[in-house]
Formats: sequence, structure tokens, C-alpha cells
Amino acid sequence: VSRTDAVTRILFEAFPTAEVRLFYALGYTAIGIFCWGVYVQIRKYRRGTALALPGSVRARVGDMIGKVLSHRTVDRRDHAAGGAHRLIFYGFALLFLGTATITLQYDILEPLFGIRFWQGKFYLIFSLVLDIAGVAMLGGLLYMMYRRGWMKLPKLDYARPDRSPGDPDFDRPQYRREDWAFLWTLVIIGFTGYFLEAARLVWLQARPDVWDTRWWSPVGAAIAEGLGSLGLTAHGGGVLRLSLWWFHGLLALIFIALIPFTKVKHIFTAAASLMVRDPLAAQRLPRVPEAQATPGISKITDFTWKQLLNLDACTKCGRCHEACPARAVGAPLSPRDVILSLREFANATLESGTLPPAAELEVHGKSPGQVAMETLWSCRTCMACVEICPVAVEHVPIIVQMRRKLVEDGAMDPLLTKTLQTIHKTGNSFGESKRKRGAWTKVLPFKVKDARKEPVDVLWFVGDYASFDPRNQKVTQIFAALLHEAGVDFGILYDGESNAGNDVRRVGEEGLYEVLAESNISALAGATFNTIVTTDPHSYNTIRNEYPDFGGKYEIQHYTSFLKKLFADGKLEVGRPLGFRTTFHDPCHLGRFNKGYEAPRDLLRIVGCELVDMKRSRDNSFCCGAGGGRIWIPDPVGSEKPAQNRIREAAAIPGLEVYVVSCPKDLTMFEDALKTTGNEGKFVVKELIELVREAVPVRQAQALLA
Amino acid sequence: MKILVAVKQVAALDEDFEIREDGRDVEEEFLVRDLNEWDDYSLEEAVKIKESSSDPVEVVVVSVAPEEADESLRKCLAKGADRAIRVWDDGVEGSDSVAIARVLAAVAKAEGPDMLFAGVQSSDQTFASTGIATAAFLGWPHAAVVSSLDYSPGAKSAVFRRELEGGLLHEVEIQCPAVLTIQLGINTPRYASLRSIKQAAAKPIEVKTLADLALSAGDVGESGSHSRVRRMYIPDKGRAQLIEGDAATQARRLAQIIREFKGDAT
Repeated sequence: VSRTDAVTRILFEAFPTAEVRLFYALGYTAIGIFCWGVYVQIRKYRRGTALALPGSVRARVGDMIGKVLSHRTVDRRDHAAGGAHRLIFYGFALLFLGTATITLQYDILEPLFGIRFWQGKFYLIFSLVLDIAGVAMLGGLLYMMYRRGWMKLPKLDYARPDRSPGDPDFDRPQYRREDWAFLWTLVIIGFTGYFLEAARLVWLQARPDVWDTRWWSPVGAAIAEGLGSLGLTAHGGGVLRLSLWWFHGLLALIFIALIPFTKVKHIFTAAASLMVRDPLAAQRLPRVPEAQATPGISKITDFTWKQLLNLDACTKCGRCHEACPARAVGAPLSPRDVILSLREFANATLESGTLPPAAELEVHGKSPGQVAMETLWSCRTCMACVEICPVAVEHVPIIVQMRRKLVEDGAMDPLLTKTLQTIHKTGNSFGESKRKRGAWTKVLPFKVKDARKEPVDVLWFVGDYASFDPRNQKVTQIFAALLHEAGVDFGILYDGESNAGNDVRRVGEEGLYEVLAESNISALAGATFNTIVTTDPHSYNTIRNEYPDFGGKYEIQHYTSFLKKLFADGKLEVGRPLGFRTTFHDPCHLGRFNKGYEAPRDLLRIVGCELVDMKRSRDNSFCCGAGGGRIWIPDPVGSEKPAQNRIREAAAIPGLEVYVVSCPKDLTMFEDALKTTGNEGKFVVKELIELVREAVPVRQAQALLA
Repeated sequence: MKILVAVKQVAALDEDFEIREDGRDVEEEFLVRDLNEWDDYSLEEAVKIKESSSDPVEVVVVSVAPEEADESLRKCLAKGADRAIRVWDDGVEGSDSVAIARVLAAVAKAEGPDMLFAGVQSSDQTFASTGIATAAFLGWPHAAVVSSLDYSPGAKSAVFRRELEGGLLHEVEIQCPAVLTIQLGINTPRYASLRSIKQAAAKPIEVKTLADLALSAGDVGESGSHSRVRRMYIPDKGRAQLIEGDAATQARRLAQIIREFKGDAT
């Protein structure tokens, strides 16, 4: 072989034939184990129920590739981890591709077609790129070790809020061992790679094609210089190279073989999970299929294949754990632990050759791997977990589907049982007569049209809290006066309207939700209107995202964007800029659920308020604790409520005058929390509608609104 | 083994109700219907006994009511009753609790249950007599206001407890078959999900007439009743007022009020 034009990678040079054969045998074994593992995983997912994914595969793949390459989702709310992971990802990907192309030439193209490309300039540039990739990967890995070992981040603590110390699955030390084994394995593979490269250089220092081009592998060359100066001879280099070669190679093969059985599989599962993501996972919950005998999830085999894949995608990054309002106030729920428990359960039951008997597939309960009902009932379905998950795990539909089973069994708080019965009986959660739904209009000096009797431009879907809660009724009346002032042709459904069902659905009472949705859709069908407006983000969400599945397709706006437009069109004018120092609480169902972040902030600007956002705002807004039916379930006495936690956050804003909300339930929750946290008198809680009213001179309803 | 549970769909007042023209009841459109709260507990007690029994137990609910009560009967079926019987005949209209009991007793004779449960009372009429009157027609032992029960289906006797005044508990043994009227709080009634109620809609409700039970028109309605509602009305609100001022002022005002009340001109 000509040594001058064929600068190339030294592979098996000086290997006895037997050792080359042994290496290939081990390599095929590793690949065999890998393939077996992949088969077992796929078999596991296929034991879930069927699910057809909407949308084009091409769009899904494109979306996934965009997210993986940009690391956009990994970067959010933790740029350091995102940056380090990006280094590991690109480093690992380049090293893998590099190694793969060696195989491509050496084992496929050259023996079959005589094609060689791993030589000359190409090899040298590749050599340089891979050396840099190795540095990137090791840098990222070392930072991750620092993070796990020294930073002590609460989100990386596996202690569970739903278990007690001493429980077998309290803090799951096996996860910590796996994390460290993973990091160390890659770090050792990386470092031995460089030393192997250096040893090879020392060994072949007499060969100009190797030695003269050594600085194309700068890290290896530098180590080689160091080893040389420490007295390593060419012979010693050869011996070291052979032993390091085997060590590095075996470790890499073990790594490959174990991918499907360890957290390393997230390389595949996370990408696949991103690909099958449902952008409306929490906003539009799945219906119960007609053919399903029992509603919701009872057994591990009731999960869809996609949900089982979701479980495997989790990387324990802890972002959902950190964002969860239930976890933050000490409730026995961490979305991370729900996912991990179910994953452990799925692995224990669905990876075996034959499926265990049905009794062993029950996922509800208190044993390791099972999820307790206290955990499921702690969820506020605020979507903070789904929204922040970097790998598109969809916790909320899983929790709600598990709750459906609890509701069917009646395993819920007695007060919630009562509320559901009340809603069934009266169509509202207050237990008030249907007739009284429009009673709040009686004090108005003008008549609010009955949209069932005459056509209107704007149909106002009022919702339960805005209709019946005395404090919220005042806001409702103000909003009516503002619409009247602006000359809007609007009407309501009076007793034709029922609870919109958003929270009933999130409780898991799907049958009652269907009744409510169908009743409202038929009431809406009897009215003539162009658009729907609501002051209630919960009603807004379900009408916007879920009613279409029941045949109700409407144009609907939350009042914030509607009022903003009235100002833009000159229908409303600010008479007196308010000049308050305010902060704004993004309601889950307006913000995270429906991306309505800007309209309320624009309105605050329009009425002349200064806005100081809390640290947890917009997509990271902290739920008031009322969602998912929790407004009907009492919080445990003595523990902090999410609304109190939130008010304390706001209280830290210097000079805060008004804590602004734009959701009826928020008004109730935060006025209460303002009192119970002792912040009464320091600042006030107000509906944005009330601020708009203060800034707009309302002529017609002056007396009422004074 | 069989337990018969007598249930009633009661009426609750809606806001701003009006009295019917004949002055003997509330106008129909102002009433909201639901299963009587006590019956929820007696049904739950029967279903619990069924579920904890190793022998098969049939729970049958029965109501003497027009078709609108089917909604409540379906709820019972959703909660675990195996069968539902509804007895109706236009002549039943106007029956008092004794006449209703006569019909229930006829159903019990036809069904031959090991035990008959009823609620202590209905929340709309509050006579608290239907269950006990049924026992009288059947000639069975009976007990009212049962707050805890030990009963194995098929056993010759049952032991129950009743709460007495002063925090005392009464433990009583009773021969079966018997009629027990069940008190609130004896158990925690289960939730009937809308889904289970919808599924129960597929189960048939057996509708029986008086003829099916060998009863005649004279056994029910006003002729079969021992009492009759004369009128239903809202009593005049009591008037109270706080008299302020010193003793002399208060006395003067009091005297004036007494005179006004007597009708004396002042």
C-alpha cells in the first residue's frame, strides 16, 4: 500500500485474524441484542390499544426533526441543560455518523464495490471534525455530571411527593445509579477514544502518513506528545493501543447492546414521542370510544400505544415536577412520578413474553408502579406539565383517562360526587334553579336580549361562575354595561345555557360532559348569531376546542380580545388612564391552553396601567388551583393552597397595587387567598373588566356601576 | 335471595313556585324531580348486602308512580339494582301513604322477598308511614329509622341498631322477612355515572297495573286512603320588630301594637 497518497484510518492493523473475527462476532452479538431489545419494546407498545394519528406523516417528521436539531424544547426554562445537551447530542451524533461511515466503507462499499473514500484530505478533515465532536460531547457530559453531583437541583431529586421515606419506591436509587452509569460510560468511551488515538500515534510515529498528519487529530496528538515526553516508546504505544482498542471497543458494543434496555433509549423514544405529539393534548381530551366496555384507563393495556411510548420517552428531566402547582404545595402528585410509575409498571408487565393475567394489569392502587387515587385527584389539569415537557409526554389526558375509571367506581371526594349530581340535576354547579341563570340581568337599566328569541350579532356564553357567584355577577353586569355602551348587539341564552362542561370533562365524568355539551350545542343551534364571546376561559376552551368533536363549530373569542377590538374600533374610549402598578395572572385556559397571552396585556396598556409580570407568567403561569374540578374538592386543611403560593409571589412585587385576573374562578380563588395570606390592604385583586370600567366613562349604567 | 327496595321520585321546589289552582299541591312546572334521598341509602344498603354475599342476591326496586319516575328507577338500576318495577294506574292519583303501602304490599306478596327496605320518609311529603304501613298489610315485623344493619341474605333474623335520644343506641333483633325503614348516614351511597345511567336505559322497567296485582280501583286513590290533603299553602309570615328607646317609649309602642293587633283604632 502506498503510504503517501493513502492517508487513512488505522483499523485492524497488526491484529491477529482470530481477534478480528472475535471482534466481529462480538459486534454482531451486540447488534443482535440491540435488535432483540427493540423488538421487545415495540411488542410492548403494540400491547396498548390502537390509535390513528391525524395529520400527515411528513409534517410530523419535519416537526420532530426541527425540534431535535434546534433543541428548542430542551432549551426552554433551562438554557444550561439545553446547551450541554446540545453539545452531547451533536458530539454523539457526529461520532456515531463518523464510525458508521467507517463501517460503510470497510464492511460494505470496499469489499463489494471496491469503493474507498476514507483517505486523503477527506479523512483528515473528518478526523478533525470528530476530534472536535468528542470535545463537545465530553464537555457536555462533564457539565451534566457537575449538575447532578454538585448543583443539587430539586427537580433532579427523585424523592416522591406521593410516597413516604421507607416505601420501596420512595426515591428510586436505581435511577441515580443508571444516570451515573450512563454518564460515566460515555465519558470513558470518549476519553479512551482520545487515548487510543494517542497510543496509535506513538506506536506508528515512524510512519510519516500517520505522524506528519497527527495535528488533524489535535486532542490525540497533544496526548501523544505528552505520552511521548513521559517516555512511552513506539512498542509501548503498540501494546497500549491494542488493550485500549479492546477496552474502548467492548464498552462501545455494550453501550449499543443496552440502548433498548436503559435510559439511552430516549434517543429513539423521545424523537418518536415528539413525532406523535398532539398539539391539543390537554385542550381537547379524547372521547370514550363507543366500543369500549369500561370508560377510561383501568389496566396498563388500556393505554394507547402512543401513551406507552410517551412513558418511555420521559428523561426524568424534572421540568414537569418543577412546574406542577400541586407538587409545589405539597400535594401527593408529581407528573414526573406518574409517568415513571406507569413506565415501571409497563416494563414489569408488558415486556415479558406472555401477558400476565388481567388482575396483574390493574394500574390503580398503592403498590409500586400503581397510581393512587389521591395522586390522580390532586391534578389541576393546568397543563403546565404537558406544556413544558421537552419530549412531548402528554400527562393530562393520561390522568383524566385514569380519573374516568375512578368516577365510574365512585372513588372520589363526597363533595365532588354531590357537585356532579347537582350539575346533572340543575345544569349548574351552584345547585341553583335553571330559571335563575339570567337573574343577574334584572338590575341592569337595559334589557339583555334572549338570543333564543331574537337574532344577535354576539352571543355571550356566560358560564356558571359568572352567572351565579355573587361577586362575579358584579363583573358580569359591568361587562354587560360595557357591551351596551359600545353599542354591541348581544344576547345570552338565559336558562337555555348549561355549565359548559370543561371542568366536568377534566374531572373524568365523560358521560355528564356529553350531556352538557350536547345540551349547549342544541341551545346554540336554536339561536341566530355571528360570534360567541365569553368571560370564562374554561367555557372558552371547551367550546373552542372540544365542542367541534360533538358537531358544534363556532367562532369564539375570550372577552380580552373582544374588548381590545372595541377599543381599536373606537367603540370604547379611555376617559381616564388609571396609572396603577399591576401584575397579570395568566389563566391556564386562556394562556397555556389557548395562547391568549397578549390581549389582556394590551388591554392593561390601553387603560393606562403599568404591568410588572411575575416570574411565573405566560406559558409558565402558576395555576390558581381551581382547575380540573379541584374548585369542587376542598384542599387539605393546613397545607398551602396554590392560590396562596401565587399571591405570595405577587406580594413580592414592590409597590404592587392591583393583581389583575381575567377568569371568574380566579377572582374567587385569589380574593380568598389575598385574605388568607394576610395581604389584604396591601394590594387588591380585580377583574380586568373592572379596570376597563374604571377607565371608560360608562354613561348608560352609571348608577349601577358606581 | 331477594331484597325489595321501595323507592319514590320526590319533588323539590324550584325558585318562585306557585300553588296549583285546586290549592292542594304545587304547580307541576315548578317542581324538580329526583330520587328521594333516604331511598338512595336504602338502595345502597341492599346493593352492599348483595355485593358482600356469596349467594346470589337479587335487588328489586319498586315504585308506585307515573312514567316520569322511570328516570329515578334507571338511576337505581345504574347503581346496582337488578330489576325495577313501576306500578301505575290513573286511579292511584290522590292516594295517601296507606293506599300506596297497600300497592307495595301487593308487589311484595308477588315477589316474595327476604327483606323489604324503605326510606324513613320522603323528603316532599314527610309522612314517614309508607314503609311501616306496608309491613302492616303484609303482617311482617318492622322497624323504623335503622342506622346500622347486620344481615346475611337468607338468614332467619337480622340485627340492627337505631339511634335514640341522649346518644343511646338500640340494638334489636328482628325476624325475617321484615320491613326496615332506613335512616340517612347508614352508608355512603355510590355515584351513578352518566354512563352507567345511560347503560341502565337499556334495562327494562316492568310496568304493572292494579289488575296485575289483583287490586281494584277502590284500594287506591281517595277511596283507598285514610287521609286527604285539604290544602297546601304558604303561611303568613310572622312579623317581628325590635322596639328601641327607653322603657317608657318601649311601653307606649308595645301598647300601641297590641291595640292595632286587636283592631282598635288609634
